Amino acid sequence: LLLGELTASARRLALVGLAKNTGKTVALAALLRELQDAGRLVGVTSVGRDGEERDVIDSRIEKPRVLLSAGNLVATTDGLLSASGIPHNVLENTGVRTPLGPVLIARLRGHGAIEVAGPSAAADVRAVSDAMLGHGAEQVLIDGAIDRRAASSPDVSDGLVMSTGAILSADLEEVVARTRDAVELVRLPGLEDPLLRKLAERTHLRTGGEGAGHAPTVLVSADDEALELPPRFVLSSDPQTIEATLAANPSARAVIVPGALPEAFMRGMLPVLRSRGGELAVVVADSTRVFLSGKGPRWYERQGLRLQVLQPIALRALTVNPVAPQSHSFDSAELRGLLENAIEDLPIFDVRQDDYAGRAEPAESPS
Amino acid sequence: MPPREVDLAAVKPYADHLGDGLVQMSFTLPVPYSLAARKAALELAAKMGFDQPEVVHYERLTDGYTYFVMYGRCVQSIDFTALQGEGFDIEYMTEDEVERFAAEHVGRKIVVVGASTGSDTHSVGIDAMLNLKGYHGHHGLEGYHAFTTYNLGSQVPNSVLVAKAIEVGADAILVSQTVTQQNLHVHNLTELVEMVEAEGRRQDMILACGGPRVTNELAKELGYDAGFSKGTEPQHLATFIVRELAARVAAPR
Repeated sequence: LLLGELTASARRLALVGLAKNTGKTVALAALLRELQDAGRLVGVTSVGRDGEERDVIDSRIEKPRVLLSAGNLVATTDGLLSASGIPHNVLENTGVRTPLGPVLIARLRGHGAIEVAGPSAAADVRAVSDAMLGHGAEQVLIDGAIDRRAASSPDVSDGLVMSTGAILSADLEEVVARTRDAVELVRLPGLEDPLLRKLAERTHLRTGGEGAGHAPTVLVSADDEALELPPRFVLSSDPQTIEATLAANPSARAVIVPGALPEAFMRGMLPVLRSRGGELAVVVADSTRVFLSGKGPRWYERQGLRLQVLQPIALRALTVNPVAPQSHSFDSAELRGLLENAIEDLPIFDVRQDDYAGRAEPAESPS
Repeated sequence: MPPREVDLAAVKPYADHLGDGLVQMSFTLPVPYSLAARKAALELAAKMGFDQPEVVHYERLTDGYTYFVMYGRCVQSIDFTALQGEGFDIEYMTEDEVERFAAEHVGRKIVVVGASTGSDTHSVGIDAMLNLKGYHGHHGLEGYHAFTTYNLGSQVPNSVLVAKAIEVGADAILVSQTVTQQNLHVHNLTELVEMVEAEGRRQDMILACGGPRVTNELAKELGYDAGFSKGTEPQHLATFIVRELAARVAAPR
């Protein structure tokens, strides 16, 4: 199977990397090639900047180009559009401002390489993606930047391709472990408990939606009573306050977090949970709201904190870059093998390897 | 003699006369002070592409190290006329102009929260932008009528910064971070943007980042509305904030 086939049903497809230089843009380029070969009309945008010649932080690193053919749509800044030299028709000025200029939507009338820099804010990404679909794109590809995930929220996109690579660590096992944790996070189980669902839906903050950021965090007791916690409780409470609040509500069975869930809050709940035993469901809108850098979701589940989401993310595939630029590299097949053992039911590709069916150029042979 | 016209399509360094391309540079080589060291420096400068490289001064720095001052002619040029458009043609306002503009287009106090996030212990950049004392003889934002500022200092966790910004109804968050090629620093900056998104506040807050290596290109990549680097003075930041806020007031999305 090809990336393009696996992701075909996602009208708005997000590409997210676990760090810089994990190969997001290489995956995007492979997808674009496959979709354009299949004659599908695509729209492309980027939450960062794509197709630039050199890395913005380390100029020794050359970046892959983004090649688009006539008829396809792109959301990028006016400056980058003219710099591409590709003839085009501007369809819309989106009104979105970026540090690189205002974002336009254009239909290309020729073929070529173009730098893509669309809207950054998730709500704008959704609006611009929908606008491209409205202008006739059959599928919109939303490329990520560095390790930003907000565009993979189901409020924004319908499917996700994740990219990982050697850049995460010089230790192969560590790359596998961190990738597994990230996949577990993206695949957090959907919330089934009907009462919790009802409560969570009531406080669900749609990305950029009306009244966003004003919903309270709620503690749900065993007899289904909902206790509102003070504003910003989850963001900035110290461990003692978290402990005292939980200890004062010993029958709590769930906490519903409408906004961001930092790891400090998860850690703060551990001592009480360990002493009282049992489980506490931690409900978030989707996994882009969860900020874990120490332990993975499964570790917290073993401590009794069960993360659940209102809206699961449809993870379609994982791409692998076995090379850490200017540093080290792993054997691609070995890395993918270890990842396949650690992660269930997920197609894993290295789109630059010979064994990838959609690989761009044939391997060089010493003829 | 009438001044020679500068050819902006082919700009070169200038020392004695326009277009001579003369560059002065200094560097240290990890080799002992010797004639061989001098020769090595000349060859290196030639490899850098300099025409007629010349060592004007060299000295022993310490055992095994030699310091050089060199001249060389740069044969490359830059098309300055191509470097126009967004991000290049900004005309900054003075403090008084910012105050007048804010009074007219915003009409209320603009709340700015700043911090050095994560593990960064440097607060110099934030202090220069926000504190009354300011930088280069220019008041920080604290000294403006138009702004109410909160400087949270250094090593502030992103979640605490976001909580404070929400608590005080911040119009803008300013973070400073020394970005290196290490992923950690970059992650601190992207995490802040993601947390503001997760709180559903991205449309309500202007996000600006500053640091020695922060460009607009990097800011875009990181998800910020603007990036500020060395040489930024408080009124530059103030200009950006009041203009962006006025644009948002005029055309809410």
